[in-house]
Amino acid sequence: MSKAQEFEPKIVAYVCNWCTYLGADLAGTARLEYPPNVRIIRLPCTGRIDFNLIIKALEVGADGVLVSGCHPGDCHYTAGNYHARRRWILFRELLDTLGIDLRRIQFTWISAAEGRKWQQVVTEFTDQTRKLGPYKELYATGPFPDVPAPETASPGVKSFAAESELREVCGKLLAEGTVKVVIGYGARGPVVVTRAEDAERLVWNNRCFSNLTAYLKRKEIKSLGKAAVIVKPCDEKSLVELEKEAQFERKDAHVIGMACEGVDQPKCAHCTARTPRFADVTLGVEAGPEPQTSPSPNRFAALMAMPPAERMAFWTEEFNRCVKCYACRQVCPMCYCERCIVDKNRPIAIDPAPSTKGNFAWHIARAFHLAGRCVGCGECSRACPAGIDLALLNISLHIAAQKNFGYEAGIDPKAEPVIGSYTLHDTEAFIR
Amino acid sequence: MSEIISQSVLRGLAAEWIAGGKSVAGPARVKPDLVLYRTLRSGDDLLLEGFQRPSNSIKDFLFPKAEKLYGYKIHGNSIELIENDSPEPAQVIIAARPCDAAALPILDHVFNWDFHDEFYNRRRAATTVVTLACSAHDENCFCTSVGLDPGSERGSDAILFALGSGQYEVRCATEKGHALFDGKTEKSERTGKAIAGPEKRFDAKAVRAFVTTHFEDPFWNEHALTCIGCGTCAFSCPACHCFDIVDAGPAAGNARVKTWDSCQFSTFTAHASGHNPRPVQATRQRQRILHKFAIYPEKFGEILCTGCGNCARNCPVGLGVLSVATEINHG
Ligand code: SF4
Ligand code: SF4
Ligand code: SF4
Ligand code: SF4
Ligand code: FES
Repeated sequence: MSKAQEFEPKIVAYVCNWCTYLGADLAGTARLEYPPNVRIIRLPCTGRIDFNLIIKALEVGADGVLVSGCHPGDCHYTAGNYHARRRWILFRELLDTLGIDLRRIQFTWISAAEGRKWQQVVTEFTDQTRKLGPYKELYATGPFPDVPAPETASPGVKSFAAESELREVCGKLLAEGTVKVVIGYGARGPVVVTRAEDAERLVWNNRCFSNLTAYLKRKEIKSLGKAAVIVKPCDEKSLVELEKEAQFERKDAHVIGMACEGVDQPKCAHCTARTPRFADVTLGVEAGPEPQTSPSPNRFAALMAMPPAERMAFWTEEFNRCVKCYACRQVCPMCYCERCIVDKNRPIAIDPAPSTKGNFAWHIARAFHLAGRCVGCGECSRACPAGIDLALLNISLHIAAQKNFGYEAGIDPKAEPVIGSYTLHDTEAFIR
Repeated sequence: MSEIISQSVLRGLAAEWIAGGKSVAGPARVKPDLVLYRTLRSGDDLLLEGFQRPSNSIKDFLFPKAEKLYGYKIHGNSIELIENDSPEPAQVIIAARPCDAAALPILDHVFNWDFHDEFYNRRRAATTVVTLACSAHDENCFCTSVGLDPGSERGSDAILFALGSGQYEVRCATEKGHALFDGKTEKSERTGKAIAGPEKRFDAKAVRAFVTTHFEDPFWNEHALTCIGCGTCAFSCPACHCFDIVDAGPAAGNARVKTWDSCQFSTFTAHASGHNPRPVQATRQRQRILHKFAIYPEKFGEILCTGCGNCARNCPVGLGVLSVATEINHG
C-alpha cells in the first residue's frame, strides 16, 4: 500500500468548553504537534455530552470517539462530570452487550493546563484507531451462535385461589366509594372497572401478564378519580421507582398486592419477590416455583460469551425485525415522558425510520433511558410483536447498576436512584 | 381434472426462483413461538404447517416499513436530489394466507386513488402472490364476518389447497400465476377444498351503522381505556396503510423515507400548534373502527379488514377489531 492510500482514521472529540477545549487550545498555542485526524466538537460540560452523540459520531463514519472534560472536582458546573462518569460507566456496559467495539471510544479528563496530555491522548488514540482500521463492524450482520430463546407462557388458563377474594375486595372498594376505578385483569387482558357489580369481570390467574402500574400515568384513567391498582410483587417495584421520580404518590392510589404464584413468564423463573411489600392490602398466598439460584437467565450469559462481533450480528438480526410500533415503550411503567425523544422532530434526535441504523438508535436510547430504572417486569419483551429479546438489554444494565453502584431498581425506597445521583468516588478503570 | 404439486417440488421451485434472482418471501419460524413472513434464504426455510398465521403480513413486501423515496446531497446552499428509480427485482410471496392476499386489492385502491404511488405500484407489478388456503382457524379469525373465507382467491395469482400427504392442488388465477407453475405440476383427479370458515362473529353492516351514528358515545371511552396507543395493531394488519415521510438524516446517508404510521399514536394528528383533534385514545380507537367499517367502504365499496385477527393476536392488552366489533354488535 502506498503512503497516500494508507488508512487515516476519522476521530470525533466531544470536549467540555471549560477544561479540555482550553487544553486543546493550549496545545495549539504552545505549538504542540498532534495528528490532524480529530474533529473537535465543543459542548458546555461533559454532563451535556449525551450518549446519543457518541453513537451518532460512529454512525456518520467516525472510526473513533474521544470524550473529554474537566478532572473530577474541577467541573465548572460543580458536578457535571460526576454525573457523566456514572452514565459512562453504565453506558459502556450497554455498548459492550450490543457488541460495539469499546476500543473505539476513549474517555479522558484533560484540564485547561494539560496541553501536553491532549497531545498525548490524541496521538495515541489516533495511532491505536489507525491500527484497528475503519470501523466496518458497526451494525454489521454475520453469523452468530444461537442465544437460547426465553421460555414462553403455557397457553392454558389456571385460576388462582385468591380470585374470588379479589373480586369481593374490589367490589367493596367501589361500592363504598374508597376508589372510583379498579385497574385489574380481565379474561383477555387489562380491564378498568368503575361499577361495583362489574368487579365480577376481574380475574386472577397465570395469564395476568400486564404491569398495570403503567396505566396510572394515563390521563384518561386519572380523570376518572382515585384508582385501585392490582399489582404482582414484580409490578410493585415500578411503584417504588415512580415514587422516587415524583411520578406517583401513595395517597393517589389504593394498591392491591397479589401474593404471586407465577404467570409463566421468563422472569418468573428467577423471581425472588413473591409477596408485595408495600401494598395497602395483600391477597392470596405465594406459591410460585422455587426461584432459580442463578440471578440472571442463562441466555444473557450465552450472549456475553460470544465475541463482540457476534453479539453485534445477533442484535442487528434482532433489531432488523423492529417495526417501531413502540409497544415496548407504551407498556413500560417507567416510560412516562409526555413526548418521547423518538417522537421529537424539531429537530429529530433519533433517526425515525425503522432501518438498521434507526432501530439501533431507538434501542440504545430506550435501554439507556431505563438504566437503573427498569424493574424487570418483562412487559417490553412480551409486548414486542417482533419477538425481540429486549430483556437482555435491560438485564445488562440491571447487572451493571448492581455491580458498580449496588443499586437494584424497585427494592429500597430510600436508596438514591443511580442516574441523577453520584458519589465522589464512583470507580472505573477506563477513563484516562 | 386438477393440477397438483408435492411439497418437495414446491420447495425445489422456491429454491429455483431464489437461484434465478427472484426474491422469495414466505412464512418462516424466527423463534420457537414466532412465525413471520420473511425473505427466504432457501426452499427449506419455508414453513407450511403447524401455525395459524404469521404475526406480520405480506404488506411488508409491497409497502415496506421503511422505503427510501429519494436521497439528497447538500452542496453549500444547494441541494441535489437523487431519485430512487431502480426497478424492483421480481418477487414471489409463497404460502400467503387468503386474508393477506385479499388485502392487496384494498391497498391497490389507496395507492392509486388521488395519487399513483410509484413505489407501491412498482413492487406490486413485480410481485406474484401464491396463497395457501387455510386448513385451520383459531378464536381470533373472522374472515367470514367481512365477506371472505379460508379458500378466498381474492388478491392471489395462484392458490394452493392442501390435499394431505404433502400434496397440494394448484389453481392459477392470473398470467403471473401460470408463469410460475405451468409445466411444473402434475395432472390428477384429486381436488382440494378449504376448510369451512369460522362461524360469523358479527354483522359488519350493523357495525357500520353504529359507528356512523355514535360518533360521540361513551362506548368509545369505555372500550379504549386499556388501549395503550402502540402501533402494533396497525403494523401487523395486512390492510392498514397509513404512512409518514421522515428525514432519516446524514447517519442514514441523507434519505427521505416513507415509514409506517398508526392512527393509534398520540402524535398521529398532533398539530404543530400543540392542538390535537384526537386528544384521547378513545377518539383514536373510534377512528380505527370508523375508517375500517365506514370511511373506506364509503369510498371504495369494501371493508378495510380481512378478518385475519392479527390485531387481536398481537395486541399487548388483548384488544383488536374483533372484540370491538362483537361488542358493538352484541351490546
Ligand atoms: S415493541 Fe418490538 S417492534 Fe415494537 S418498537 Fe419495541 S422493539 Fe420494535
Ligand atoms: S423496560 Fe421493560 S422490563 Fe423494564 S420496566 Fe419497562 S417494560 Fe418493564
Ligand atoms: S383490522 Fe385486524 S383483523 Fe382486520 S385485517 Fe387488520 S389486523 Fe386483520
Ligand atoms: S388496540 Fe392494542 S395493539 Fe392497537 S394500539 Fe391499542 S394497545 Fe396497541
Ligand atoms: S465543565 Fe468541564 S466537565 Fe463540566
